[in-house]
Amino acid sequence: MNKRLVGAVTLGLSAALVMTACGSESPAGGEKAADGSVTLKLVAADYGDGPTAENSGEKFWKGVVDEFQAANPGIKVEVQVINWNDIDKQVATMVQNGQVPDILQTGDYSGFVKDGLLYKTDEVLSPATSSDMLEKFADFGKVDGVGYGIPFVSSARALFYNKDLFDKAGITEAPKTWDELKAAAEKLKAAGVSQPFGLPLGNEEAQAESFLWFMGNGGGYKDTSGNWAVDSAANVETFTYLKGLVSAGLTTPNPGTKNRKDVWADFAAGKVGMVNGGPMSIPIFEKGGLKNFGVAPIAGKSGPLDTTLGVEDWIMAFNKNGHKEEVKKFFDFFYGGTAAQKISDTYKLLPVTKSGIEKLSSDEKLKPFLAALPNATFYPFQDPKWSEVNTQIKQTIGGAIDGDPKEVLGAIQKVATAN
Amino acid sequence: MQQTLTPVRVMRALGPLAWIGPAIVLIGVVVVWPVVVMIQSSFLKISRFGVVQGANGTDNYTKLFAEPDFAGVMFRSLVWVVAVVSITVVLSLALAQLFNQRFPGRRFARWALIAPWAASVLMTAIIFKWMLDPEVGLINMILHKVGVLDALGGADADPLGNASTAMPWLVFVAVFVSLPFTTYALLAGLSAIPADVYEAAKMDGASKLRTYWSITLPLLRPALTVAALINVMNVFNSFPIIWAMTHGQPGYSTATSTIFMYILKGSDIGESAAMSVVNFGMVIILTVIFLRVSKWRTEVR
Repeated sequence: MNKRLVGAVTLGLSAALVMTACGSESPAGGEKAADGSVTLKLVAADYGDGPTAENSGEKFWKGVVDEFQAANPGIKVEVQVINWNDIDKQVATMVQNGQVPDILQTGDYSGFVKDGLLYKTDEVLSPATSSDMLEKFADFGKVDGVGYGIPFVSSARALFYNKDLFDKAGITEAPKTWDELKAAAEKLKAAGVSQPFGLPLGNEEAQAESFLWFMGNGGGYKDTSGNWAVDSAANVETFTYLKGLVSAGLTTPNPGTKNRKDVWADFAAGKVGMVNGGPMSIPIFEKGGLKNFGVAPIAGKSGPLDTTLGVEDWIMAFNKNGHKEEVKKFFDFFYGGTAAQKISDTYKLLPVTKSGIEKLSSDEKLKPFLAALPNATFYPFQDPKWSEVNTQIKQTIGGAIDGDPKEVLGAIQKVATAN
Repeated sequence: MQQTLTPVRVMRALGPLAWIGPAIVLIGVVVVWPVVVMIQSSFLKISRFGVVQGANGTDNYTKLFAEPDFAGVMFRSLVWVVAVVSITVVLSLALAQLFNQRFPGRRFARWALIAPWAASVLMTAIIFKWMLDPEVGLINMILHKVGVLDALGGADADPLGNASTAMPWLVFVAVFVSLPFTTYALLAGLSAIPADVYEAAKMDGASKLRTYWSITLPLLRPALTVAALINVMNVFNSFPIIWAMTHGQPGYSTATSTIFMYILKGSDIGESAAMSVVNFGMVIILTVIFLRVSKWRTEVR
């Protein structure tokens, strides 16, 4: 073989590699392109079923961006959609390397505030858009009274039950208390249902499922005075009750390793009697072929929950590239036009604006969730310790089912209270 | 004669650089530089959001070593490497011997062996996870049909839900995906052994077992060393199998150090970097021990 040729090719290839490595860094900074146009970089989480699905985040954002660009010729928007499992870590890498996007849509904003990476809400939202936001939601976007996180979508939780399986087991109505829930689960088990209650305590969303159960016993991650109380007596009692359900074979087996997505799929397939879900699980159940299901408030120890878990996702603007005016235009377009409504329709997520909730109020299936929103309880995500506690909960809280609840919850409490 | 630095001489001395330069640059950019950044990061305080908050001394390491699950994770990583690599090597030795024989359909069998190698490891792991699904997993359904399993959907049908049954399955999948490469490396080694040494052994009346022990294995040692060493590093850093099948759960009971490092990245990037450095050191230590034990420098006599 011609060695000289091989050498030349190697040299060329490595030179190309080095050059592309450098090249990817150049678009940073607030410079404008030669023709005066500005490119906004938007990073967003995928609410759909992945890149190839009909409802993928890519397709949703492409629709929004195409419309926006047509209306604003001087602004280009470059979208990168990342799935929920990876978005936190990938965004962290972007921040660490100084390559922040202009706009980020994800599940948390609080960690960027202290270091002054974000625009204040007032700087990038016009008064009209700002005043349309539900106050309670907007308040959660504030740190020390100043807004940084802009509410994007929200959701709430309720108990879903399979009416066909309930009929088969001779259960007439959804359980309201833990005792009723256990009795219903036993009847379902006797009727041949392999998972009477779907209990996902795996790493995907163990923090949500646990929180719902804690609420049923008047517990939570923090006590009423705002101190961490993960291993409170109420929470330990909650997991002791769950432990009983699991060991009697009334739930998903080994819940500490099962993810919400899989348990919802089992519910959609008619193998699960009851499961906690949200509006976003409705399309999943229907697509899986389950039509005859009911929605009820979540059962608590002595009565149904008068609150529920509210989850709020956020959109925020980084100030590094200085594209304040362009970001403002984009946000006004997003909330003022059809885009915000489209996201609620496509993914059955609840809106965060007064006008949005008004538009949805006639949707029968969403009614229980919309009604629950005003009194919802949220994660203590404004606490700087939350992200670390959350990671620990996701990985280990399911172990409280196999092991000693006091010990497992105590270990999480220790993470929360360590400095 | 006095040596002078004439331009020609300098050019000649630098000549080889034009050829090895690109390789050096590549190694520098994709190997050395990340290692430097990794070690740097392990001494910084970095929030989970990626914001660097200044130096942190050795606090990341102190915190890491104080993690209640740290010791278990490191021990599990060692067991994982030893189990996967030794089972893989033993099975591959047998398979390589088999594929070195002439038999009808050998070409087809050799091709079939490549399949697990050609498929993405992540895909293989996900498929095994699906096959072990308590409700609709193929393996469980077969076991149910055969009568080994009483009912689907329960804890009995959920081997991945429990560390004591999940670990053997994880090892099985890791061996499954490591077999093709190892077998082919050994097969190449086998075919490089000249036929005349076997003839000589036959003339001397050596038994089959004796021939294998005294001739095949020693002559196979270079191939065996390389194959096992690459496996040690690969398996130690193996991420997709465990991540896709158990996420290291329940708790951290199926997590190896690589998985632990990735989970830590979700809460404390500095601590996660410290775990990476420890991991890096472990691989080097394992490699050195392995090379010592296998005496790779000694010539085959």
